[in-house]
Amino acid sequence: MSGGHEDSGFVARRFVVAEFATPEALLAGTRKVREGGYKDVDTHTPIPIHGLEAALGLGRPKIPAIVLCGAIAGICIAYSMIYFCNVIDFPINIGNRPMHSPPANIPITFELAVLLAGGSSFFGFFTLSGLPKPYHPIFESEQFGRAAIDAFFLSVELPVGADADKALGDVRAAGAASVELVHESER
Amino acid sequence: MAAPNLSHDPLEPLPLIEGTHTDQTINDSLLTHVLRGAGKGWWMLFGCALSMLGLLVIAISWTLYKGIGAWGNNIPVGWAFGIINFVWWIGIGHAGTLISAILLLFQQKWRTSINRFAEAMTLFAVICALLFPLLHTGRPWFAAYWLMPYPSVQRIWPQFKSPLTWDVFAVSTYFTISLLFWFLGLVPDLAALRETTKSKTKRFIYGLFAMGWRGSGRHWAEYKWAYLLLAGLSTPLVLSVHTIVSFDFATSVIPGWHTTIFPPYFVAGAVFSGFAMVMTWMIPARHFLGLKHVVTMKHLENMNKIMLVTGMMVGYGYVMEHFIAWYSGNPYEMGQFFLTRWHGPMRWIFRTMVFCNIVVPQMFWSKRLRTSIPVMWVAAILINIGMWCERFNIVVTSLHRDFLPSSWKDYSPTWVDLSLFIGTIGLFSTLFLLFLKFVPAVAVTEVKELRHELAEHDAVAGETHA
Repeated sequence: MSGGHEDSGFVARRFVVAEFATPEALLAGTRKVREGGYKDVDTHTPIPIHGLEAALGLGRPKIPAIVLCGAIAGICIAYSMIYFCNVIDFPINIGNRPMHSPPANIPITFELAVLLAGGSSFFGFFTLSGLPKPYHPIFESEQFGRAAIDAFFLSVELPVGADADKALGDVRAAGAASVELVHESER
Repeated sequence: MAAPNLSHDPLEPLPLIEGTHTDQTINDSLLTHVLRGAGKGWWMLFGCALSMLGLLVIAISWTLYKGIGAWGNNIPVGWAFGIINFVWWIGIGHAGTLISAILLLFQQKWRTSINRFAEAMTLFAVICALLFPLLHTGRPWFAAYWLMPYPSVQRIWPQFKSPLTWDVFAVSTYFTISLLFWFLGLVPDLAALRETTKSKTKRFIYGLFAMGWRGSGRHWAEYKWAYLLLAGLSTPLVLSVHTIVSFDFATSVIPGWHTTIFPPYFVAGAVFSGFAMVMTWMIPARHFLGLKHVVTMKHLENMNKIMLVTGMMVGYGYVMEHFIAWYSGNPYEMGQFFLTRWHGPMRWIFRTMVFCNIVVPQMFWSKRLRTSIPVMWVAAILINIGMWCERFNIVVTSLHRDFLPSSWKDYSPTWVDLSLFIGTIGLFSTLFLLFLKFVPAVAVTEVKELRHELAEHDAVAGETHA
């Protein structure tokens, strides 16, 4: 469980997992731990908490730009597809109506823009967050399951060779109700 | 929580969450219906739904074996049950999208307890709807050739100037976006289920669908935007899907179809019928699944108010159709609206529609009636019937009396038509009962978030009073 096997070259990642009593305590604790110089800090909460982005020091979210690109791609693909099919590749003259008729192209252009924008929002989110990820070392913690129900957790990934006891003490000092050290299991 | 002495004050709004709760009690009370075994009632309903689904299988098989001749429609009534049911089912889906998207953007807190439920109805209603256009082509396996633009050896493309092609894109986009939106909202709830269940198998299955969600702050930051933007993208879909469906009719020249009011009137009707269907299922479900503390009288009352408003918009549509028919001075238009609809062979369907869609919702002006559960349930069912009659009027009544009396012909459905319709109700019920059994019917995470917001709000209010 702990340490590594020389033959496989596996080094278990270590996490300090701490529970906080309230969302407010978690926010304050997160700020303190980050000020203490820890880099890989994350929170685990059942609900999104206002102000966590700032406490974690996250930049602007990337999703809006991705969705905008999706929408623009949808517009371009739809319009050029319609133009190619009905004007270039197989023009059909019906009652001498114009081959290229912009009003008639609006509905499909709009729908495809929505489809690709929505798709990029969904798949963009899963790509950015690295999900689906069936195993994560933090699930090794017995208590951690409650992060999906009613508890507010903080996790700090320790760099290789860092002093675990010092980290445990630092996180406890940041206001944690309970702390534990979790090791990745080799599978 | 609100002070108890204020709970009877008529100026104090009804609570969105009844009783005092913690995240834990909300979690457990909203998930028990998934985790406990299926009761007798569920199995009985499921049996009924499955037998109706069996009828659907028979009707589809017979349609495919015999061809479209097995249906009652024939020239001049070239569209009948197939298109009526398609429009009816698509309309029903709209309540889910309105609740989950538009009410989210308007920050209506009461949407939280009913959105998951209504979104699931959207998905299942669109599945039922999609069956009809596929089957009415007669050879569904060819429909893909005709509808989807892909480079085939025939070197022919769909005609993009046709509203029927727009429809393909509108409905398939609607289904896909609704599915993505629904699933994205479900991920944190599935994680809650994964952690709540005691069974190893269930933990594995829910864990699989929860995608390894661990409530990470980094994930929430992007998640909130992804969810909000999907809501923003669904919002125009509420308006566009039924608008495009109405173009199928409005761009033609048939009296009764050729009207500019169709797009808004179809959208209002869609929301109207969708809310009626949500009420039809929500009233028994909140009782049997133990959801009364999160789906309170306030939710039901708000939905009734929306039905009153959209019902009156639909009524305005009916009046405007008649006015424009008269104002146009066109004898065919006037004949359609003033003679055929009111006095023709299908007059009872028209009159039922007027009663169910215009008269019935008016009782929601009364606070006593709109907070009475039996009254609103019966009203919801009548509105469902009324909205089906509306589509019957638009499709069949308009077609069976068009310009030339020599081309007039009466219409009657066959057993296949009726079985397909009843069968899709079976398909919808089957899917919905499975949903109620295996997926949390209320967005657990969002209700927890709402509880925190309400608690904060009360805390701030308490400080200012003190």
